[in-house]
Amino acid sequence: MRIYNKYVLSLLLSLGISNVALAAAGQRALDVYIVLNTVVYLVISLVYVYLNPRARSLLSTIGFVLIGAFLVIAGMKAAEVLGR
Amino acid sequence: MKNPYRTLGVGLVAAGALFAPVAYFVINSAPLTAMAIVSLLVGFTCIALASTRPYISPEASLVLLQTGMENIAALLEELALRNKAIYVPSSMGDGKPKAIIPLADGATPVLKNRVPGRLVVRYGSRPDEVGIAVTTPGGASLPLLRNSLGPGDSQIESALSYLLVGVLDLATGVTVTSQNGQLNIDIRDPRLHWENIWYYRSLGSPIASMAAAVTCEALGKPVRIKGEAVNNRQARVEIEVID
Repeated sequence: MRIYNKYVLSLLLSLGISNVALAAAGQRALDVYIVLNTVVYLVISLVYVYLNPRARSLLSTIGFVLIGAFLVIAGMKAAEVLGR
Repeated sequence: MKNPYRTLGVGLVAAGALFAPVAYFVINSAPLTAMAIVSLLVGFTCIALASTRPYISPEASLVLLQTGMENIAALLEELALRNKAIYVPSSMGDGKPKAIIPLADGATPVLKNRVPGRLVVRYGSRPDEVGIAVTTPGGASLPLLRNSLGPGDSQIESALSYLLVGVLDLATGVTVTSQNGQLNIDIRDPRLHWENIWYYRSLGSPIASMAAAVTCEALGKPVRIKGEAVNNRQARVEIEVID
């Protein structure tokens, strides 16, 4: 299960570092954190191309949920800009 | 069997679900809410990974592997077969990849006939061109490959990485280089090492067997494991392509 351990560790490290970096930059908008976390999650999952097919399909499902959240946030922001 | 990923996942999801509303509504902190969301995300990922672990335990798999290997080793020892096995692609046999151990010592055998799905097979026209055809760990692992195999070094490397690193978790990396009709396959951190036993001397270690089976299926040609060496947590499998 070494590849799973590496994947979970990479995910935790990269998500942790990106959130700490945003917090250090003084970012206070939660949607920015969610968008960045989504991107980081998708990139790390893409790098681990050798995970077994069942794991990949389950991780893709989580990825689709995150992309859905990303699209909702993007849509709300677009509606906010257009409504001004 | 206790699953550490499920335990970790449930713990992270519970912690994230409890902390997220507190961080958002009480503390009113976006970074802390984001960390709670990360906890939820990694928790769900761990739960997903937990459900992809094998149904039978690694110990049970090892018992099955050991049984098959010892039976083949007993057969080889009884027949005093010391020749190195020739891995034959499924296209040259009955649709299943096999390994033939020639009965006669001497020069490299030339396969002229299709290999039938039997134990004792005739692979050439001469009376002594007879061998034992067996199923190997490599041949049995080929159905686990998701994509079709290609003959290039990078395609073989990709297929072996997927099999050994991703699906079977027997190594951490694979590199394939070829020169003069021979492929050198370097396997980082292999979990099943070569031992000086009859079975391995003839058919190779399970990892070498997988490397040979993938190579012969990718090239569509018979191959033979020329040598195996382990050095500094890296195994090198030398595979000779037989034209």
